Amino acid sequence: MDDVASKIIEILRKNMKDPTKTVTLETPLSDLEIESLDLAVIVFDIEDTFGIEIPYNANEEVEAFATVGSVVDRVKGIIAETKASGAAA
Amino acid sequence: MTHTNGRRRVVVTGQGVVTPLGTGVEKFWAALKKGECGIRQVQSFPVEDLYITIAGEVPDFDPRERLKSKQLILADKYSQYAGCAAQEAVIMSKLEVPLKDSKAYRAACIIGSGVGGLTTLEFSYKMLFKENKRATHPLTLLKAIGSSASAHVSIEYSIKGPTFGVVSACSTATHAIGLTYRMIREGLVDLGLAGAAEASLNWGATRAWQAMRVLSPDGLWPFAKRRNGTVLAEGAGILMLEELEHAKARGAPILAEVMGYGMTADAADMVNPSIDGASTAMQMALDDASLAASDIDYVNAHGTATAVNDINETRAIKRVFGNAANKVSISSTKSMHGHCLGAGGGIEAVAVVKAIGEGFIPPTVGLDEPDPECDLDYTPNVGKSRGVSYAMSNSFAFGGLNAVLVFGPPPA
Repeated sequence: MDDVASKIIEILRKNMKDPTKTVTLETPLSDLEIESLDLAVIVFDIEDTFGIEIPYNANEEVEAFATVGSVVDRVKGIIAETKASGAAA
Repeated sequence: MTHTNGRRRVVVTGQGVVTPLGTGVEKFWAALKKGECGIRQVQSFPVEDLYITIAGEVPDFDPRERLKSKQLILADKYSQYAGCAAQEAVIMSKLEVPLKDSKAYRAACIIGSGVGGLTTLEFSYKMLFKENKRATHPLTLLKAIGSSASAHVSIEYSIKGPTFGVVSACSTATHAIGLTYRMIREGLVDLGLAGAAEASLNWGATRAWQAMRVLSPDGLWPFAKRRNGTVLAEGAGILMLEELEHAKARGAPILAEVMGYGMTADAADMVNPSIDGASTAMQMALDDASLAASDIDYVNAHGTATAVNDINETRAIKRVFGNAANKVSISSTKSMHGHCLGAGGGIEAVAVVKAIGEGFIPPTVGLDEPDPECDLDYTPNVGKSRGVSYAMSNSFAFGGLNAVLVFGPPPA
């Protein structure tokens, strides 16, 4: 598992009721008993850790947040975009 | 009437508002009838680095023009809004002010706020932490405290009875009105100014709301399929409540009667509302009013346009109203004035009193295609004439704090 993935899993664990549960890239977020407010906290933590902004609205279903792996992919995508726009500027 | 059981009755003898649709009840009501929307691009602070750039800002408020007292002109904007709305309510009620002698102790002033002088605090912290000033403005504390609006208004009119603010986020004004109604009914006082004011639109607060991910970047569309969050707003809504015989004796205008009040807490979750908490508060308000749900013609819904509120509120209304849920007119006036937070219930109570007085249901604007799970009559887009005898106003706040008022026509 790469650095981005392990950091994200670490952030998820902090917000889980039972942090000893096994978490893999395939684990659906719904299995982690994460509620809407937890998700806002997790997104904030991820933004802070990676210095990025994640567009996310709790009122909308977000497919990118289905599994741990999809969150990791989304974050990697945003990191790449942020770097690209930083290089352009 | 039998339903009073000989208890003291409480009527509305004046009301005042400051809203994103304008200042003053007539301007506000005319805009509601027309279905105007007061949500616009933010003007009062820079939004370049925000992704939420819309809000319901009060467009027409110059404190020097609106207020007479120097103390209020130096106060936080939330107290100024309260002072302005209270002034309108007092003038409308034809009450002789300042109150004198023992009358002063028989009056209450319960004016709350969700967060009080938050903008004053933001400004002060900026001075201290960013600009390294040695001190804050000497009035910072008095401006910031959540009881300053009630204190200022009590000073204006020499109200010397129960005076304080209440705090329950977006149910604040409804709790304030309910509490004052009960104080009058139980004989503690004979009249009272009740409601709330909010003026917390600023950069820091928007950042904090953004982080919660519940705001819409485009608009507040309650019960609509496309709804994607609420929109912050500001303002004040204040009622003059009075014991019926007291109001009659002095020839006061009687606009409506406060019939019932219910309050509950979900005791469950800070953001996810429960059907139990909301429906029980509604049922309590009906029981207090000795009315059946089928007697209610209009429900001014909490209707925040968040994904969870509108479905939960719809289900709660169905539980309480049963078959009558399909006959009652519902609307969320937040679609026009935005979510005025603590002040919301006060502004919405004014809309309800006007709906009773004029026999008109203000619309829910922006309701092009309803959410299939929100299938009641929310008065989409265009208001309509309908005789309104009894009406309900719902406020369901973060933390699961619920307050519901029922109003009726002026007693015959």
